[in-house]
Amino acid sequence: MQLKTLAKAMLVTLSIVAVSACTHTKKNMDSTTSINDANGGGSSQVAGVGDNANYGNENASDSAKAHNKNTYYFDFDRSEVHESDLPYIYAQANYLMAHPNAKIILEGHTDPRGSREYNVGLGERRANAIASILRSKGVNPNQIRILSYGAERPAANGRTEQDFQLDRRSVAVHIQG
Amino acid sequence: MRKLLIILFFTVCALFFKTAFAVISLELTRGISGALPIAIVPFGIEGQTPEQNIPNIVSNDLQNSGRFKVFGASHLNYFPTNVADVKWDYFRGIGTDNVVIGKVQQIGVNRYQVSFQLLDAIKGKNAPNEAIVLNQKYVVQGEELRSLAHHISDVIYQHMTGVRGIFSTRLAYILVKRPAGDKPSYVLEVSDQDGYNPKPLLISTDPIMSPSWSPNGKQIAYVSFENRKSAIYIEDVATGRRHLISESKGINGAPAWSPDGRKLALVLSKTGTPNIYLMDLTTQQLTQLTNDFYINTEPSFAPDGHSIVFTSNRSGNPQIYQLDLATRQATRVTYDGKYNARASFTPDGNHIVVLNQQSGMFNIGTLSLDSGTFRVLTNGGADTESPSMAPNGSMVLFGTYQSGKSVLGMVATDGSVQIRLPARDGDVQDPAWSPFLS
Repeated sequence: MQLKTLAKAMLVTLSIVAVSACTHTKKNMDSTTSINDANGGGSSQVAGVGDNANYGNENASDSAKAHNKNTYYFDFDRSEVHESDLPYIYAQANYLMAHPNAKIILEGHTDPRGSREYNVGLGERRANAIASILRSKGVNPNQIRILSYGAERPAANGRTEQDFQLDRRSVAVHIQG
Repeated sequence: MRKLLIILFFTVCALFFKTAFAVISLELTRGISGALPIAIVPFGIEGQTPEQNIPNIVSNDLQNSGRFKVFGASHLNYFPTNVADVKWDYFRGIGTDNVVIGKVQQIGVNRYQVSFQLLDAIKGKNAPNEAIVLNQKYVVQGEELRSLAHHISDVIYQHMTGVRGIFSTRLAYILVKRPAGDKPSYVLEVSDQDGYNPKPLLISTDPIMSPSWSPNGKQIAYVSFENRKSAIYIEDVATGRRHLISESKGINGAPAWSPDGRKLALVLSKTGTPNIYLMDLTTQQLTQLTNDFYINTEPSFAPDGHSIVFTSNRSGNPQIYQLDLATRQATRVTYDGKYNARASFTPDGNHIVVLNQQSGMFNIGTLSLDSGTFRVLTNGGADTESPSMAPNGSMVLFGTYQSGKSVLGMVATDGSVQIRLPARDGDVQDPAWSPFLS
């Protein structure tokens, strides 16, 4: 029951994020992204939000939170960060530096194609790519933990290229602070 | 009619075994050439009809091996149960010299005597007494009838092909259920080789992956993401008791047993990137085998234990390398296609089976280590994953997709036959074929 409420809150939050995101990047891509995240990615992300119901909430007072985006996307078998995600990663860095007690798990994910354990390695590289940007911006490494799920927690859970694009991601899950 | 029988069979199974319903069932997707003809005549029944239809199970086993062309109940119009009643010309006429007849006699409460004979119709025509090639008799409990049927399949298969059968082996795989609006559940299950008798070894709301059978088939190593971290456990299949093997910082993955069962190759990223290590299971001591900044993963031992193959993207994309455990030198072995991963050896050590992508779909392929000849086995109709060799080298088990669901498939290593095992409820993925179990 509580999870359901949180999932709803997440949906609302993500739509808000989507609206603000549209001002920065391609419109179509970002709106589908956010909708699918709220529906398909519920299980892993809701669990993450569950420990920190306030973070990203629409009522949150800290303006840094409202401008944040916690999911960053990648190309097939690649771990280079998309330039379009950099503003959100920088915002994440600013938030973490402003809240030294905040901690995140950077999850690494891949699409379901290819080999499972190789994908675990690939997911870790993706999460590391985000982590190294955060560290280069001055974030304390102790605030970040890397956890690669490979292909085991798809966001979209479908077999189209559009689904795969949503699966290939790193998610910053806030666990405290 | 056949479909109806299968449905009926499942219903009966579900009624009799509350905990032993089938999750997956076999389905032939590709034809057979050069198969050995054999007639499996319905057995004579004395007393109560048992829950399990032995000749049907044997027919399915042999048919699905790709090595046999089976004439079962639906192909035959008379059912002899004694050698004296066999009309040799009838069987020769429909195209088979090999005939199996048998009897199931109830000899007590839930106790059965089962006998069968493999007959040679060429010899039988002249001297019926010389027609009996195999003649076996067993006494079993009702719940042992199914495993007895698989044993009979093994006996016939070995006699006629000279190769040990795999019908009494088991499969391990991950069953994933994703109920709408709820957390997914991940179950590590073990079933018979044909998908029957699934039993859970671990149920979790977090991912489970990479089950790996110990060489004696008594234990399974696997990766579990309980408590938001990856860890490797070894679980005893019979008792369900498990112990923690590794929970280093970062990745703990891809466990693979040495052929003597004393060591476990595994992947750890505690130094920052995934590298392959060898753990002595007695002392828990670790030896690092690779040391670079690329992805090194999916170790698998050669049958002689002297080398491992593994996946690395050190060339820019994933390819298979072979590492000599004495010299620690790694050499690249795959060049066909832009993606080769999850390699394992055939039991003779002459080939490796890999997950391969040339362009488009991910297929299962084999590479001859001597000649370098690469062969794609699956038909490219859907992506595949996690190839796992049968212990006799005859078939490869793998994960694939059908109607939006993950299902298991099998393909003969000679490419002659491909079988699908449809999921009944949820996604079935990441399979591992057991070694011989007796």
